[in-house]
Amino acid sequence: MTLPGLFDYREVVGRDVVEELTMLASYVGNRSIKMVNSTAVGGGVAEMLHRVVPLLNELGVQTNWEVIKGEAEFFDITKSFHNALQGKEETFEKQTFETYLHYNELNNGQMSFDEDLIVIHDPQPAALIHWHQNRKHKWVWRCHIDLSHPNQQLWQFLQAYINQYDAAIFSSPLFSPELAIPQYQFYPTIDPLADKNKELDPEYIEAVLKEYEIPKDKPLVTQISRYDPWKDPVGVIEAFKMARKYVDCRLLLVGDKAADDPEAERILQIVREAAGNDPDIHIIYLTKSIPSEINAFQRASDIVLQKSLREGFALTVAEALWKRRPVIGSAVGGIPAQIIHGYTGVLVHSVEGASLQIRSLLNQREFAAKLGENGRQRVRDEFLITQNLKRYLLLLLAIERPNESTIFLD
Amino acid sequence: MGDLFQFSSSASLGKLTGRRAHNLEELLQIIKTCPDSSIFYHTFSTFRKMREVQVPFNNDFAIWISQNLAEEALPEKLTAIELAEHSTILSLRERIAAVIESHRQENPLVFTRTAAKPFYLCDTVRIVYLTDKFAYNLRSFRESLNSISVDSIYFHFIESRLQTQLQTDDFSRWIEQSLDMPDLAAKIRNIDIHIYTLEGLRRKLTALIDQYL
Repeated sequence: MTLPGLFDYREVVGRDVVEELTMLASYVGNRSIKMVNSTAVGGGVAEMLHRVVPLLNELGVQTNWEVIKGEAEFFDITKSFHNALQGKEETFEKQTFETYLHYNELNNGQMSFDEDLIVIHDPQPAALIHWHQNRKHKWVWRCHIDLSHPNQQLWQFLQAYINQYDAAIFSSPLFSPELAIPQYQFYPTIDPLADKNKELDPEYIEAVLKEYEIPKDKPLVTQISRYDPWKDPVGVIEAFKMARKYVDCRLLLVGDKAADDPEAERILQIVREAAGNDPDIHIIYLTKSIPSEINAFQRASDIVLQKSLREGFALTVAEALWKRRPVIGSAVGGIPAQIIHGYTGVLVHSVEGASLQIRSLLNQREFAAKLGENGRQRVRDEFLITQNLKRYLLLLLAIERPNESTIFLD
Repeated sequence: MGDLFQFSSSASLGKLTGRRAHNLEELLQIIKTCPDSSIFYHTFSTFRKMREVQVPFNNDFAIWISQNLAEEALPEKLTAIELAEHSTILSLRERIAAVIESHRQENPLVFTRTAAKPFYLCDTVRIVYLTDKFAYNLRSFRESLNSISVDSIYFHFIESRLQTQLQTDDFSRWIEQSLDMPDLAAKIRNIDIHIYTLEGLRRKLTALIDQYL
């Protein structure tokens, strides 16, 4: 399958947006970028790089992508780092840090760093900077995870490396720690031409609903999230049941199980028990989700819920907003950055609040449609892949002049 | 034929500062002491985006106060500050601080409230650049209007005042000075920016110009 090129985005994001990218790229000139992460497939970072790297190249910015290598012991360590940086309590042995550094050093010996901007993604390759003290190029650490409450022992170890970078990039002010280096904000973005977000034929949407035996006889309220207590699927069922006393509708829960989560089956069982034998509640459990089907579920929905108790950035919200869906989201994590309450969706803080908003939006279709329309515009302004490309172009121009707040190009 | 008009545009890259405010007193201190670029980010940059999604507030300070301090009068007063009337960040900063201080005299209790969520002070690097679009008369100006980005429209209509330090937009100034069309310039100058989205503004400008072609 041929991946969409820059030209294909013109119809979706606007011709002027693509022209602006081309214009900025002409100012960037022949500067180059190297992206470094720890996996070529799977996970949001690899998914993003698969699209951003070819598009930057198409814009004329020579961009390479290299993946670090390591044995299982290294990736076991970096996985525990990932969890600890997001707050999990754990004590690390000195040997663990030494093994982590050993693999970073091995990778450093096998890689070259001749590009103008080196972007190191996430903690796995973060220590590579250690071997580049007298560098002439700029190094930036792009952190995709929530560092607001990191494990202190680990953070003290990693911080010594992070502070050697020229700058860091975080997805939100909520996720960033205090650092001695400049920090840029890059919101996570979605790809409007990916299978999960592209326009679909109504026939395909109908076929997907039929396949999963979801009648379209009543308004459809949907939450698409893995079956995880933090996504509060039981709270969604409670909110739905409260709302249905006043407005007839169906609830659709779609999700896969959290990877490597031994609790997932038990949680799914709790969700099924909460739903009981209610014929209006459809629980779909996917071992591996198909992006175009997720897309169809979202487009078929009258309301999309994201009633999480704790969240990262929650790009499922941006996906639904892009499809002009009215979204009810919890005021946690990155959701308030996407939903401006009452304008691009509604924010709730409880089961009762979610229930009231389901009733309200199903009875005020014009208002709901307006939220959906504004939501799409909000995504267009901040959360599309073209914005990500623009931020990289601006970063290339800005990082060479770290002390200037306004840069005039001519 | 008048002087050539080369369209410019600007783009901003958001930065994080680590500074936070948990109540109005802290917010006031931040507003008084933060860099000009932070004020720009939370006012001019926000205005550019919020108006497109019909949010009635035109700055992040008002949005935060409204959503986290259960206070409505102060956000209204802050939103009533016309960005277009400020051709320097200094004057805008002083105006914002004065409005908040005046509100403290009237409603001291609001200043004792702790916000549900902190205000995160951000910053920005602003990059201003020349585009490859030109106008040399009204007809070519009208044609270019259709192809420039909304960011370029916003830049010339609102933001460039920070460079020119004039209380007028670039379009009406060029049309008046270079094309000698004071009537059309006056009509453009009097467009109420609050009524239109940027695409709406593009249509309004085009419609006005069409009357003179």
